[in-house]
Amino acid sequence: MNLERVSNEEKLGLCRKYYLGGFAFLPFLWLVNVVWFFQEAFIKPAYTEQLQIKAYVKWSGLGLAIWVAVLTTWITIYQHYRAQWGEVGDYLSFTIPLGIP
Amino acid sequence: MANNAEDVENNTAVTPRPEDDAGGLRLRSRGGGGDGADGDAGGGGGAERNGQPPAATGPQGGGVAAAVEDDDDEELTLKYGAKHVIMLFVPVTLCMVVVVATVKSVSFYTQSDGQRLIYTPFSEDKNTVGEKALYAVLNALIMISVIIVMTGVLVLLYKYRCYSVIQGWLFLSSLLLLFMFTYIYLKEVLKTYNVATDYITIAVIIWNFGVVGMICIHWKGPLRLQQSYLIMISALMALVFIKYLPEWTAWLILGAISIYDLLAVLSPKGPLRILVETAQERNEPIFPALIYSSTMVWLVNMADTEWPPKRNTTQAPEAPPAPEPLAEASPPSSPREEDSGFSRDWVNQQQNQLGQLQSTEETRRQIQEMPSDRPPVEEEDDEERGVKLGLGDFIFYSMLVGKASATASGDWNTTLACFVAILVGLCLTLLLLAIFKKALPALPISIFFGLFFYFSTDYLVRPFMDELALYQFYI
Repeated sequence: MNLERVSNEEKLGLCRKYYLGGFAFLPFLWLVNVVWFFQEAFIKPAYTEQLQIKAYVKWSGLGLAIWVAVLTTWITIYQHYRAQWGEVGDYLSFTIPLGIP
Repeated sequence: MANNAEDVENNTAVTPRPEDDAGGLRLRSRGGGGDGADGDAGGGGGAERNGQPPAATGPQGGGVAAAVEDDDDEELTLKYGAKHVIMLFVPVTLCMVVVVATVKSVSFYTQSDGQRLIYTPFSEDKNTVGEKALYAVLNALIMISVIIVMTGVLVLLYKYRCYSVIQGWLFLSSLLLLFMFTYIYLKEVLKTYNVATDYITIAVIIWNFGVVGMICIHWKGPLRLQQSYLIMISALMALVFIKYLPEWTAWLILGAISIYDLLAVLSPKGPLRILVETAQERNEPIFPALIYSSTMVWLVNMADTEWPPKRNTTQAPEAPPAPEPLAEASPPSSPREEDSGFSRDWVNQQQNQLGQLQSTEETRRQIQEMPSDRPPVEEEDDEERGVKLGLGDFIFYSMLVGKASATASGDWNTTLACFVAILVGLCLTLLLLAIFKKALPALPISIFFGLFFYFSTDYLVRPFMDELALYQFYI
């Protein structure tokens, strides 16, 4: 949908819903929120709802950053220590690489 | 399956109405709804003017001013026409690229596990050519009859206003497609690249991908993201077809479906045509699902020029492909029990398959929907017009090119030839659309070109090129 054609209240509602939705383990939703509403929140000239949209975008960005940090840490740990963990490592694995490392 | 490309713009641009005092602007912005304003059944003076090719712009509204506007309209039509063709080229190309890349790199999709879809129960591992041909034809017939039945059911549901059933199906099928097929796809790709992944990461990835996909497709989301999801879903479906349809069956089905498409859309008793006419009578848009739209279009619901225009803005381009698990509604449980070889996966996939076919019907229908009497909309709708192409079209185009790249002896030669053939077919279809200004099936021309080029390149051009290369003879 094109944000140009939508009223400000609807934009705010949309931003808010995306923000709230992201709490269901959906950092991607927060990412979409940030990217989509970035222009609305920071670049466009001010309008009444912009302050709230800005807040939502900022909080979405924060949540996204936390998720990225957590996921990166976990993935690094997993990739590094998987072989050493033996059984637990295999149990956790979705795909196990073949061959000799 | 009427996967119809529709150029809303052209339709609007070339149907001037005398009552438009806003002049050219109004004329061009008419019918911004996501369905090509065909206007063939339209109330008002527009009816007889439709169907005139852009070239024949006489002063229809009367007066020199109208003629000048018509010239402008004509230019605009052509300009938009070319732009729209390009707007469709990009997603179709992207879809094909994804499918070909996957087919080339992930061997899973070209291996035959010996499992088939429930709709093509006959195996093609036969000894003689005659048997093979027979079973391929039988498979294709079964598939086509399934499709016809599904279309019929959908038309009936629509006629008797069981909208919630249809929407529920679409929802469930896109759910299955977004989660199940993506899971399998991801697993195979990761296996191919020998990357270790843990369940937690995978769960997060698939959960995010799926839920955001559902949101974008069935609710509101950024246009680009929605288009990307539609492309990915079409690619996934095409890959399923490539994997599970045996050789000859696949080619036969492509041909048969193109013919069916032609009949269903253009013949007066075709189910899709009935659907469109019903929608026109009720003056409502058909489910804007399963259609790829190049821009977002405002759906304006206006009955007549006499009535006050009622602005009804809905998002048109949703629709992703919704393979509906129709099988759940009318469970072919006996075949499933007999086919004990099919695992749960397969059953689900077959449901998806069924749904997918269903959705292609939907798609066609979508494309065909054309509000008959839609008086011109306000000026804001000028820019928001785009071309729409059904997702079933994407799927079958990609399936053709994917199969060509998987099984052709000419390899890249054949793949590229098919690719070009399909794009040329698409161009021609859009051109015809601009000329006839009504819903057209998008499959036949492209698929027939594609098939022709596949077989001729594989059997004629490639040996020729090989010989030339062998003797270092450059022409």
